[in-house]
Amino acid sequence: MEELLRMEGIDKRFGSFYANRNVNLSIMKGEVHTLLGENGAGKSTLMNCLIGLYTPSAGKFFMRGEEVRIDSPRDAVERGIGMVHQHFMLVEDMTGLENIILGDKRHSTPLLRQEDDRKTIEGLMQRYGLEVDLDERVADMSIGMQQRVEILKVLFRGADLLILDEPTAVLTDLEVQGLFDIMRSLTDEGKSIIFISHKMREVMHISDRVTVLRRGECIDTLEIAKTTEQELADLMIGQKFEESVYAKVNATDEPMLQLTNVSYHPEVKHGGLKDVSLTLHKGEILGVAGIDGNGQAALASLVTGLLSPESGEVCGPDGKSIALFSPQAFIDAGFGNIPEDRNKMGLVGDMTIAENLVLKQTDSERFSAGHGAWLKMDAIRDFAERLREENDIRCTSVSQTARSLSGGNQQKVILARELESHPKLLVAVYPTRGLDIGATSFVHDQIVAQRDAGCSVLLVSADFDEVLKLSDRIVVLFEGQIMGTYPGANPPIKEISLAMAGK
Amino acid sequence: MDFLVNSLPTILNATTLSAAPLLLVALGELFSERAGLVNIGLEGIMAVGAFVAFAVGKMTGNLWLGVCAAVIAGIAINMIYAFCTVTLCVDQVVVGMAINILAPALALFGYNMFVGANSANATGVVMERLSIPGLSQIPYIGGPLFNQQLLGYLAFLLVPVVTYFFKRFRSGLSFRSVGENPQAAETLGINVIRIKLVACVLCGALAGMGGAFLSVCMTPIYIDGIVMGRGFIALATVIFGRWSAVGIMAASLLFGFFDGLNVALQAQFNAAPVMFFKMIPYIFTIFALIFFGSRHAGPKANGQPYYRESR
Repeated sequence: MEELLRMEGIDKRFGSFYANRNVNLSIMKGEVHTLLGENGAGKSTLMNCLIGLYTPSAGKFFMRGEEVRIDSPRDAVERGIGMVHQHFMLVEDMTGLENIILGDKRHSTPLLRQEDDRKTIEGLMQRYGLEVDLDERVADMSIGMQQRVEILKVLFRGADLLILDEPTAVLTDLEVQGLFDIMRSLTDEGKSIIFISHKMREVMHISDRVTVLRRGECIDTLEIAKTTEQELADLMIGQKFEESVYAKVNATDEPMLQLTNVSYHPEVKHGGLKDVSLTLHKGEILGVAGIDGNGQAALASLVTGLLSPESGEVCGPDGKSIALFSPQAFIDAGFGNIPEDRNKMGLVGDMTIAENLVLKQTDSERFSAGHGAWLKMDAIRDFAERLREENDIRCTSVSQTARSLSGGNQQKVILARELESHPKLLVAVYPTRGLDIGATSFVHDQIVAQRDAGCSVLLVSADFDEVLKLSDRIVVLFEGQIMGTYPGANPPIKEISLAMAGK
Repeated sequence: MDFLVNSLPTILNATTLSAAPLLLVALGELFSERAGLVNIGLEGIMAVGAFVAFAVGKMTGNLWLGVCAAVIAGIAINMIYAFCTVTLCVDQVVVGMAINILAPALALFGYNMFVGANSANATGVVMERLSIPGLSQIPYIGGPLFNQQLLGYLAFLLVPVVTYFFKRFRSGLSFRSVGENPQAAETLGINVIRIKLVACVLCGALAGMGGAFLSVCMTPIYIDGIVMGRGFIALATVIFGRWSAVGIMAASLLFGFFDGLNVALQAQFNAAPVMFFKMIPYIFTIFALIFFGSRHAGPKANGQPYYRESR
């Protein structure tokens, strides 16, 4: 087969941190080539170098055997390289057509020639089976259609190499199937695709070859027909990957958190709570299963003190009814919280890792004099260094901003902060959303370790597999109501699935 | 009611006269904000424009040379803003405020050097009105619309030009994308930095021209404080006009109308304190912003610095 692109010795440094180191990669004509790697393995950085958004610190690119320089996105476009970004690069206030022709220079006139371009685009739509309403504003389109606009944008510029950065993360199962059909019709026409994903099932299904990246380095390139999911997972995390199986425990009778007939905006089907009663015992993981948008957010806010219930009673670890719903009161009562959205609620992105780690304890004697009036910077730094070590937080320094970390490492910072004080009760909401398998199993291990140490965990997750794997007991939330309570050991999966659908 | 009917011609005449400078400046700001740069330094640029136009017009005896000089001066001042916000990514509001403090002081300094004790230099001439035969005879609106100074006509003619530019020109589309989603624009090979700089040039030029209007078309003099908050009203006009040239024209005319009303009321009720009526356009501005000032409508990346290689 003919080689389309070759990378030789690509390095990309940010300060002293290597996001990519000596990457060699070769893409053939007409293949789907998957880049596999954990979060922070350097996949996105490498692709940003290839499309000219970043300038590599060292290394060479070859297109069809000839060395090329890619210094700007325009260069990449001219070489026939186009990328569909994970977070779409679309102007929401413009129509599909405007987005596709934006910045294109095929016509030498200063005026737009929308109708000519429309014909070209409609030709592409037909050829590759891409259905798009060109006159609709992007903001009004479904996610799937926005993605097709992105693909058309790339094709319109005559790309031979398409980079799809985690394109399936935002799609429903049906849309994923549609995307795969499109990808196949593209490769049948001789286009090449770099596919970035960490969903093993999809990788095995669609790829021709796979290259595994780890810690910025290229580990190996394999033919998909000659490898297995297990081998890829092992290469990706750099050790034998064993999906852990956690033992389930029988709950004690000692209640740590008790909700009795709690309601919060019960008239709101997708966001309220209606007569919720549940009990979390000492030393168990209680999983709250349900499809996203059935009251999980309200429940999580209630049991962390962000919201007060409209009616009903919440009893804390001391068995007394909680009167004051404020986050501080809940923290003082021994609640730890892994919030839903790590960027918005879990971390202050522009503050350093060290600062984020002590955020809850700045008033304590340990880190400040005079209740937070004078911070003991040395103590904070030592503390942060220790947590970094213990939790394998990968960063160049604890004084870099939290925002600059990958998702998995951000979650490690949150876990480190919340678990360091050995909470009596941990509220974990979507704790592994957007994390790869390595980071996910780290989070799972930590949660189970807390339970084994006597902590009670309320696990709220829309990932059913996660709930099944971790929970000692399971409740199902549907339209703000508890549909039933089920055992975590040998759970009646069918029954639970039906309950999640409201039956 | 009688009062309104009787003074309507006066009000309407004053409407276009005070709308024109707002329109010029607000169109400049439109270019700036469409490229994601909120420039609140308009007030300062206008002051410099007004002074330079006055001084150069007086020295050379040619008002158009004065206007050109004001345009150049406006661009020069706005390059400070461009360097700080585009190159250094400093907070746009802070830089704009700094220009509002710096530029009027520069203008006053220049004025004191130029006029000094020589009071013969203190008064210039006003640009002549150019009446369009026939059209200017239309009752009520003929005068205000078709008996303006050339600079006034220019302001209103810019509206279709700007509209057309953003709708039909390839560069207009690119321009808008920079204010909405600069990352997306960059990935399509659009030179975001260059467009932002061009926006600053246009904004400076038009704001300088708007300033010149004050000392060349409205009055034959320059005094300290001549801008009287018009730069900020122009800023409000852009929001009120929903970031479209036609909307901005409508908003400018509305503000102009209230300014005209203020003039008419002053003449009618000469016993009342002048300041009371002078408040009208400003109070209207506040109300317009309360009801229409939602930030959601503007360009999405408006006011945000753009770092090219950020992680």
